[in-house]
Amino acid sequence: MNTLKTILSSFCLLSSLLLSAQKKDPTADLPYSNKIEVSNQALESLFQAPENISLNLAPGFRLEGKIQNKSIHGSSVISLLIKVDSRPGGMLSISRYKDSKGVIYYTGHLLKLHEPNGLMLVEKDQHYYFIETQQRFLVAE
Amino acid sequence: MRKYCAHIIVSQFLFIQINVFAQTPILNSYTPAAGTVYLVFDGAEVDGTIWNEQGKIVAAPSGLSPASITWIHKMIADHFKLFNLNITTDPAVYERAPLHQRTRIIFTPNGSWYGPATGVSAIGSFVWGDDTPAWVFMDPLSNNASFIAAAATHQIGHTLGLQHQSVYDSYGSMITELSGGESNIFSNQAPLMGIPFYKQADWKNGHPSTGAQYVQNDTASIAGAPNYIGYRKNADETVSPDNAVKIERQDPSYLSLISSGDYTFRLFDISGRLLTQGMLKPGFNEIRTSTASSGVLVLQWSGEFGSASQKIMH
Repeated sequence: MNTLKTILSSFCLLSSLLLSAQKKDPTADLPYSNKIEVSNQALESLFQAPENISLNLAPGFRLEGKIQNKSIHGSSVISLLIKVDSRPGGMLSISRYKDSKGVIYYTGHLLKLHEPNGLMLVEKDQHYYFIETQQRFLVAE
Repeated sequence: MRKYCAHIIVSQFLFIQINVFAQTPILNSYTPAAGTVYLVFDGAEVDGTIWNEQGKIVAAPSGLSPASITWIHKMIADHFKLFNLNITTDPAVYERAPLHQRTRIIFTPNGSWYGPATGVSAIGSFVWGDDTPAWVFMDPLSNNASFIAAAATHQIGHTLGLQHQSVYDSYGSMITELSGGESNIFSNQAPLMGIPFYKQADWKNGHPSTGAQYVQNDTASIAGAPNYIGYRKNADETVSPDNAVKIERQDPSYLSLISSGDYTFRLFDISGRLLTQGMLKPGFNEIRTSTASSGVLVLQWSGEFGSASQKIMH
């Protein structure tokens, strides 16, 4: 009986490992070294901010910079490009998308080209996080 | 002799002028698809994206001839013929495509603003909705059309969320980030997301650059979340007059149609009275109809594939 239990639990463990290794959304698979949760209000405040930005996006994560470009794509997407002083040379590209039901989504990246690491905004279970990951997983040649 | 040389010089000059000012041919690989990849050969100005650390980028036109563009388009389209995705050179088709299911690939001689590379893209940008482009830099590819097509397919793969296909040793340590394919003399295949230039390249199942513990199924990743483009219903379906226009939906006041190309159409009632006529564009179209014209209607269309008609219960 114990052997059967061991076999069954090993099978379950192996199956879950295999399934988790083949998740469909590629962003869910990205290995990361650091993760910062950012509230929806903090993200929304970026889109209401004046040209010069100085905001606490999360405890210990302050964003200072200047909006370089604000563009509207179609009727549902607004994109910001922010030159980030707190990460010299870095650019935060962030978009706000409102779907037909009025639900708002965000996508974004904080990068400096050719740097080893970058930040990517990911959503999981209706929470947003900036994950710090190797930039070659975000921008590739 | 002098006259003969002058003729040659003039005709060479004219040939170069024709190439420089030649318009990009309008090409579509699969017009029923909403998801769109726009190949930009005529140059572009890019601003407000992650590429613009140094300000606006003015990308020079590719300078490729219409024949080369047609060939490159075909090579790329062949790699995506499995998917419900349209590879187009038509800016109007790109503009009509859903914001979260489109990308554009800019073919330009060099990427001096970026550095030495054959191209670059932001992984997953197909669904970003902000028109972030991907790039193919042609000078490092020796302006070779096969290399350009392979590099473009690779960059499109990145925009659709694919990482590089890599090679790891039995301990899980990376041997090389870009797989060149199996290293045996019987195999002439390489992954499109590895080094796709010197062998027959195709989509693969393999370990991506994110780690040996992961498996990247290229085709499933392209078709599935978060792109949600799916596969073509019938990859071998050829366009004939009869299936060139498909009715998607009909309401009392309109007909929704998917057209595979440019067609003129006429809508008649059962007595042969013309109700409306006009042009169908590739992709999604709507025809306004009158609620008074109920009963059996006949939609007739004609274009490059010939003519056909269909009865509609309205």
